[in-house]
Amino acid sequence: MGEQFNAAGIGRRGFVASVLATGAVGFGWGVLPGTGSKGAAMAAANASFSPVNLIEIGADGIVTVNVTKSEMGQHVGTAFAQIVCEELEANWTSMRIKHVDSDPKWGLMVTGGSWSINWTFDALSRAGAAGRQSLINAAAKQWGVPAASLTAADGKVTGGGKAASYGELVAAGNVGGAWSEDDLKKLTLKPSNSYKIIGKSVQALDIPLKVNGTAKYGIDFKLPGMLYGKIVLPPTRNGATAKSVDDSAAKGVPGFVQALSLKDPSGKFTGLVVAVADTYWAATRAAALVKVDWDLGPNAKVDDAALIVEAKRLQADPNEGATWVRNGDAEGTLAKSGKVLSAEYTTGLNLHAPMEPTNATAELKDGVWHLYGGNQFQTMSVPLVAAALEVDASKVVLHQFWLGGGFGRRLLGDYFIPAALATKALGRPVKVVYNRTDDMRLDCARSPSWQKLSGAVVDGKVSALTQDVACGWPTNNVAPALLGDDIDKKKKIDVFAINGADVWYSFPNHHVRLLDNKLAEATVPPGYLRSVAPGFTVWALESFIDELAHEAGADPVAFRLAHLDGAGANDKGAQRLAAVLRQAVARSGYGTKKLPEGTSFGVALSQGQERAAATFTACIAEVAVNKKTGKFTINKLTVVYDVGTAISPDGVISQMESATLWGLSLALYETTTIRDGAIAAANFDGYTPTRMSQVPPLDVSYIATGVFPTGTGEPATTVIAPAIGNAIALASGARVRALPITPAKVKAALA
Amino acid sequence: MNITSREKGSNAMITITVNGHQQTLDVPSDMPLLWVLRDVLDLTGTKFGCGQNLCGACTVHKDGKAVRSCQVSIGDAAGSSITTIEGLGAKGEHPVQTAWIKEQVPACGYCQSGQIMNAAAFLSANPDPEDEEIVRAMDGNLCRCSQYVRIQRAVKTAAEIMKTGGAATNG
Repeated sequence: MGEQFNAAGIGRRGFVASVLATGAVGFGWGVLPGTGSKGAAMAAANASFSPVNLIEIGADGIVTVNVTKSEMGQHVGTAFAQIVCEELEANWTSMRIKHVDSDPKWGLMVTGGSWSINWTFDALSRAGAAGRQSLINAAAKQWGVPAASLTAADGKVTGGGKAASYGELVAAGNVGGAWSEDDLKKLTLKPSNSYKIIGKSVQALDIPLKVNGTAKYGIDFKLPGMLYGKIVLPPTRNGATAKSVDDSAAKGVPGFVQALSLKDPSGKFTGLVVAVADTYWAATRAAALVKVDWDLGPNAKVDDAALIVEAKRLQADPNEGATWVRNGDAEGTLAKSGKVLSAEYTTGLNLHAPMEPTNATAELKDGVWHLYGGNQFQTMSVPLVAAALEVDASKVVLHQFWLGGGFGRRLLGDYFIPAALATKALGRPVKVVYNRTDDMRLDCARSPSWQKLSGAVVDGKVSALTQDVACGWPTNNVAPALLGDDIDKKKKIDVFAINGADVWYSFPNHHVRLLDNKLAEATVPPGYLRSVAPGFTVWALESFIDELAHEAGADPVAFRLAHLDGAGANDKGAQRLAAVLRQAVARSGYGTKKLPEGTSFGVALSQGQERAAATFTACIAEVAVNKKTGKFTINKLTVVYDVGTAISPDGVISQMESATLWGLSLALYETTTIRDGAIAAANFDGYTPTRMSQVPPLDVSYIATGVFPTGTGEPATTVIAPAIGNAIALASGARVRALPITPAKVKAALA
Repeated sequence: MNITSREKGSNAMITITVNGHQQTLDVPSDMPLLWVLRDVLDLTGTKFGCGQNLCGACTVHKDGKAVRSCQVSIGDAAGSSITTIEGLGAKGEHPVQTAWIKEQVPACGYCQSGQIMNAAAFLSANPDPEDEEIVRAMDGNLCRCSQYVRIQRAVKTAAEIMKTGGAATNG
């Protein structure tokens, strides 16, 4: 299961796991220490039992799932508990979840890429199955009967007229045997048609805490004697240094402690000034009064236009760039083609802006640094904080909280550094809270992208296609160890800047090149933003496919289906992609519903985040365009996923709604600019995500065929912009190639 | 509740009722209610989002009306009765909270205290709203997870619950 969709020789856990699992960081089987041989660990009487470290079964019958993934709105812990509960045959009401700290024993800790369920489904299923088998074995031993004569269900083992609850069996102290990886792999798992709790829309376990104010986020954490820090924002995003700091005016603020000018050995902050006081309000007032003489650094004159100039320079040089896809001879074929279409597509700077502004609290206790704050990538954040503090990574622990939004912002742990360094400087715990302006202007924003696509059609099909993508590479900033090799094994490539361009369409001549815009990286060190590379690669490609379909005189749906033939490496995946498209056609009324003049359907397809863990996704947007004003109305967005298996149907729908509207927000409402080396937006007036009044009618649904589950949190984000752009072009003839799509751009394209 | 003196001899003591308990506070009079609630009274259910009346995450009730607590100084709140998410329903069972669970609204959940407080005040003034009225009332509350479909549905559900007997104990 799952592996058959692997075209690139990478397992379904995808690229990150394949790199990290072969290094120092293991992948989470959760095998307990000393389990190389069977039965090394025996549960102590009246304590608890853990077949693997992912789950604990208590003498009270409570089953705790140790959740190594961050909770940022996906209800991932609830899904984990469902998966364990299914194979463990526990009672759902006995299930609990615990979000764990950054102990290395958990292996790779990263939450992103819509990977969580796809990567852990097998391990969690086996953890549950191992627990069930151990409990059955314990009962068999206790009753002197063969294990095969007993069954487990609803948190009890029964057989031969006897019954014992899981809690009773654990309390008796006879449940033995931590499981080795080999034994786990030998377990037979349930067929999907016998699932009882997987596939049920249970109430998410985190929701009750989130409606009564008791859910604790990092920003809610407090330590006795703690001080509060407020960043004094540098005038450029990266490269500015503080020549001198004058806090004399701030001394008039009651509660002010001092302004710290901090050196960050990790290099993430070039100039870091923090005003510290005994309340956050006092720190905020003081920070406004601190005078800093800044050296603006090397990027003070960079703006968006400069980045595009650099992108075009890179694209024009055939020696630049790493190769992601090469089938046949695309350039040679285009050179011999009668008519070649070329188009440039762009996206601007996009911010994460999670509702909980980035923040962290630090404390040094018994020689160990404790950092408190929500995080998505502990495996990388721990060494980053250690580098800033100049201590060994073994001396840093990250404590997890509910995340008030992640969207990739909390994959980079740079926001721990101001708190850590201020705490080190003062010898007292300090909590540093970014205000909204700090949060936006210090964001590891999604790099602006500039792409050039060229293609030709012969006999109604694409004869050749090239896609050159230039942007700042997020992996260079967040996790350089995750850079891969390009297909020629000659150059490094950031797969998280190019995923999505490796499509399931069969193109005989296809060349995809990724160009590294170093100026973009230096000016605004980039990060991963929800949907990552496919947020811009799919935008350009799926728009351009419509341009080619138009050239071929073909219907956009028929044109796509003609290229989804499932040939060679595209087998199995192309068919599933075609199936979600057909479902979206049926649900939206594409081709059957009569639309008025000026209204059209637009189509876009995507594999979600990456081929190796594909969630096949289709969107059909119905859009009405006013050809005089350029104003347009989204009548409806129809989105269909193929999720393989849905753990919680309502959870999938919730994630689909969220991903769809995030896509809408990027398509129509969100962007900011780089001005004088700084991020221009300062708050939610200058950066304007979707609000309720902007939500169009949605029809989100999924296909679940019972095969391996795939991710749901991002795939829809990738298809909304191209579907809307394609609908606008079909309705009005106006092709907009720069996100966000605005009425002014549509009007300009109409002229 | 343990109230810490933050400022020496700056202002008169400020008296305020929070979730039914009268408090006398010695804090700067220009300190926003938001930070008094969070950092002085440890009522962290009220969230900091933007500090500029742009997102609604900090919404509380002041004498029964929804206000953005980042925009109300503690001096201006003196003498008033404040209700926060912690005091909305005795056991978190206000009809809006019940509806929020029924419709599985929260994703990351960070904005939801503000959404719930805004919705509760809106419904107490308009117990049988049209869809357009809900959208207008809730449009100032940003949800970065975009749970808007569910929020809108849950406001309707809360109105139904209130109609069928679940009293709105709006503070």
